[in-house]
Amino acid sequence: MPFPFLLILLVAALLLQTSVLEVVSVAGVKPDLVMLIVVLNGFLLGPREGAFLGYIGGIVEDLFLGEYIGLNAISKMAAGYLAGVAGERLYKENTLVATGVTFFSAAAGLLVNYLLLFFLDLHVSPFYALLRLALPTALYTALLAPFIFGRIFRYFQVRSKDF
Amino acid sequence: MGWVTAKRLFFLVVLVAVTLAAMRLTIPEPDRLTPLSSKFRDVLAPAQSGLTWLSRQARHVVTMPLSLYGAAERSQALEQEVESLQYEITQLNEYKAENQRLTGLLNYKQVMVQQYDLLVASVIARDPGNWFATVTLNRGSRDGVRENMTVLTPQGLVGRVITVSNTNCEVLLITDPRSGVGALIQETRAPGIVEGTVGSSGLARIIHIPNDAQVEEGQVVVTSGLGSIFPKGIPIGIIASVSVESAGLFKRADIRLFADMNQLEEVFIVTTVFPEAGTPPAGGG
Repeated sequence: MPFPFLLILLVAALLLQTSVLEVVSVAGVKPDLVMLIVVLNGFLLGPREGAFLGYIGGIVEDLFLGEYIGLNAISKMAAGYLAGVAGERLYKENTLVATGVTFFSAAAGLLVNYLLLFFLDLHVSPFYALLRLALPTALYTALLAPFIFGRIFRYFQVRSKDF
Repeated sequence: MGWVTAKRLFFLVVLVAVTLAAMRLTIPEPDRLTPLSSKFRDVLAPAQSGLTWLSRQARHVVTMPLSLYGAAERSQALEQEVESLQYEITQLNEYKAENQRLTGLLNYKQVMVQQYDLLVASVIARDPGNWFATVTLNRGSRDGVRENMTVLTPQGLVGRVITVSNTNCEVLLITDPRSGVGALIQETRAPGIVEGTVGSSGLARIIHIPNDAQVEEGQVVVTSGLGSIFPKGIPIGIIASVSVESAGLFKRADIRLFADMNQLEEVFIVTTVFPEAGTPPAGGG
């Protein structure tokens, strides 16, 4: 996927995240679309590309918010890297595998986010952070994976045939 | 370890260190919004506002096909007519609901006119993540909004303004883990601090309640007026469960908030607090 297109996709995901996703939030939890794009691309492209895309996606989100710049960059970099590592070891053509990888990578990224909050002197109760936020968000994000994984996968297949 | 690996590792360490430093340097401070951030928000506000409006309309329209299920025998023309009428009804219902909400706000404003000067504002955007709880309102410095102004609904306290640009402002909700509100339990006058949990939970809790205070489920929590940000007596919520803090010196309690933080559409910004303000306003529930 061309990088400028990915950047536009990330910004569009961010705009949706601040507006439309409020409507589909379940018990206040919204899916993380930026995380979804990062993880699925990382899964297909590899750990280095996943980490790079995660860092870029996260930094765009941080700049958009204008505070704690780097918080999402590092957590999404970790998620992208993990998804890439998983992509090297697992069968890529299965949507169920991609969904599982999305869940675990997103959960790991959110866990990194939680740990970084301590570095920023923000203390959040582990019960709320893990059970009310990290796991539900990772699950909700992973449930969206089947809807877009097929499209991304086909795109990479077509592209590999072209070259 | 080869030179290439070492160089990559070095680059990664430098990148992470620089990012961590940037993170510490950009911890938000009250009253601080850079001119660049301010412009960025003003430019994005119309797009966010439009998307929020669209999504709210879509929520009502999406329920419409369910009511048409089973009407296969009807003619195509009739179905189209029904669809268009249904759409119109949905729109009218939306206007009706909006009208009821605004009437409620107006009534509240008339009741509160002795105590506060209130400015009505609409929510146009929310924090993209689930960790923090902030919303963007369509009122800014040109409407007289300033930092630390209290934001509420007729039901109860919502939060406070943290940053203001020309056309909009950002509100820190009381469910945000960075939020702290001086509060007291209405019945016993026991003091405490209401703090957020995580943004997505829509929950808050009151901490540092003296151990000897009588705290029970169902008691009402209101603002204490201490700390000079929130006026005294604004309803916050009802105590849902009580526990003892880990140090054993204080109690804490989970609060069921009066204002539904996940369904905020219109809110009030308190622009002026008159000196006689302080008696608990109506509402709360």
